[in-house]
Amino acid sequence: MSQLAGSKPRNEERLFLTVTLIVALVFGTGFCFLIFSLNSREKGAGGAAGNSAPRLIAPDHPRQLIDFSLTDRSGRTVTRAELNQKILVVDFLFTSCSLTCPVVNRCLAQIQQLTTNQPDVQLVSLTVDPRDDTPEVLAKYGERFGADTNRWLLLTGDKTAIHGLIATSFLPQDLDDPFTYMPGNFSHTDRIALVDAQGNVRGYFDGLNQNTATAVVEEINRLRKGL
Amino acid sequence: MKHLNYFIVVLLLAIAGCKPKPAAPDAGSAGIKFYDAHGVIRQIASDRHSATIQHDAIAGYMPAMTMEFPIKDTNELNGLAPSDEITFRLTVGEKEDWIEGIRFISHRIENVTNGMVMVHETMPELKTGDLLPDCELADENGDRIQFSDFRGRALAFTFFFTRCPLPDYCPRMSKNFSETRQLLLNTPDAPTNWQFLSISFDPDFDQPEMLASYAKFFRNNNPDRWRFAAASTNAIAQLAPQLDLMVVRDRTGISHNLRTVVLDPQGRIAHQFDGNEWTPQQLATALTVAAGKK
Repeated sequence: MSQLAGSKPRNEERLFLTVTLIVALVFGTGFCFLIFSLNSREKGAGGAAGNSAPRLIAPDHPRQLIDFSLTDRSGRTVTRAELNQKILVVDFLFTSCSLTCPVVNRCLAQIQQLTTNQPDVQLVSLTVDPRDDTPEVLAKYGERFGADTNRWLLLTGDKTAIHGLIATSFLPQDLDDPFTYMPGNFSHTDRIALVDAQGNVRGYFDGLNQNTATAVVEEINRLRKGL
Repeated sequence: MKHLNYFIVVLLLAIAGCKPKPAAPDAGSAGIKFYDAHGVIRQIASDRHSATIQHDAIAGYMPAMTMEFPIKDTNELNGLAPSDEITFRLTVGEKEDWIEGIRFISHRIENVTNGMVMVHETMPELKTGDLLPDCELADENGDRIQFSDFRGRALAFTFFFTRCPLPDYCPRMSKNFSETRQLLLNTPDAPTNWQFLSISFDPDFDQPEMLASYAKFFRNNNPDRWRFAAASTNAIAQLAPQLDLMVVRDRTGISHNLRTVVLDPQGRIAHQFDGNEWTPQQLATALTVAAGKK
């Protein structure tokens, strides 16, 4: 358009440009947002590990801590009665597991530290491999993570009993899990379970996330407030 | 190319009027509907024309319950028994319904305490004296082999993977096998009907060439009575519960425990070594004892 065309068409042109710009902005932002959200969804689905904020994962169905009688690393018998009215932080391990278990247990060690003056919080590790993980083996393993004998139980026992407890109270069994082959076919053994003082499984946190310890402690605080 | 294939598949499915993963029900011809279901057999009728199945919720049809279903083809029940976990297809016509396409998943060992405990495993853990069910493996020459190929010999087998980085784990097992074999070869009055077999649980990576070069190193160029093989994921899934073996993969590698088993010449479990604290001398003794079993 030339200057000779006068002011009217110029205004129209300006209006057209403005509308185009707004449309472009709206679509552009929308598009960017779409890309961003797809991206973050991919990340969320793709991996457990990392620094993203860990969230509480609900149990697959309502789960409760059942009665049990197992053996602590000290050789002492531990039953459910001993844990009544306690908030439990539970993980699952086999001591010859070299990749995920040490990460999850370092997280439990962190939680132990963060809850030093909270006697209502009890840490519990359940072995899925009781044939290897005798009380002596667990004692050595506990030392490696600075597990306080008063605050952190490492339990083993009869395979049927310990697998029964894990299957009923904690972990789903997936026969088709392509990543895990073990007696009991447990899935998600790298999760940390949180049990409220009434014995209900509140949910799970990803034991491989480096922010899980803080998230567990925050969730414990919410539990105490009855939230 | 992959995308193009996918596109064609989607297009074909769209033309055929169904989705890639059809949500139940699947409409068939003449008003017949199909529902995929999953459950545990509780009872099989004596005429085998019906079975009582405790099934999960059948999406779009009924909630989880235990009920009797008619079966048209009694061959569908071959080899099945109560407590078997199955998948099946419920077929609902205008006037009748029946189940078909029954597929065995596992035999459930149910252990009820407190009214709610249920642990199910594909196979029970084997004890000394039990026959190890056969299982196919791919060996270093690319041949399919199975445990029964070694009948007549005492067989020592253990699990490993070539990428295993921890000296206390797989390399220790291979070193122990090497020393045990040497002990037997050096003992003048030792039996000669023995065999070693190292089984990898990393079949994708441990292809025959990889196994062969790993074997070369530990066998010191002498392949006498020591074979290397890889187990498929199906084989591992089958062996893990029977031998109390644990294999957990993640993005960075494989976590596992150690199980070393000695079979007698009939394929029965003669001895099991857990962990890594057994010695070549102990294994040589166990093999010698097993080799003499009738």
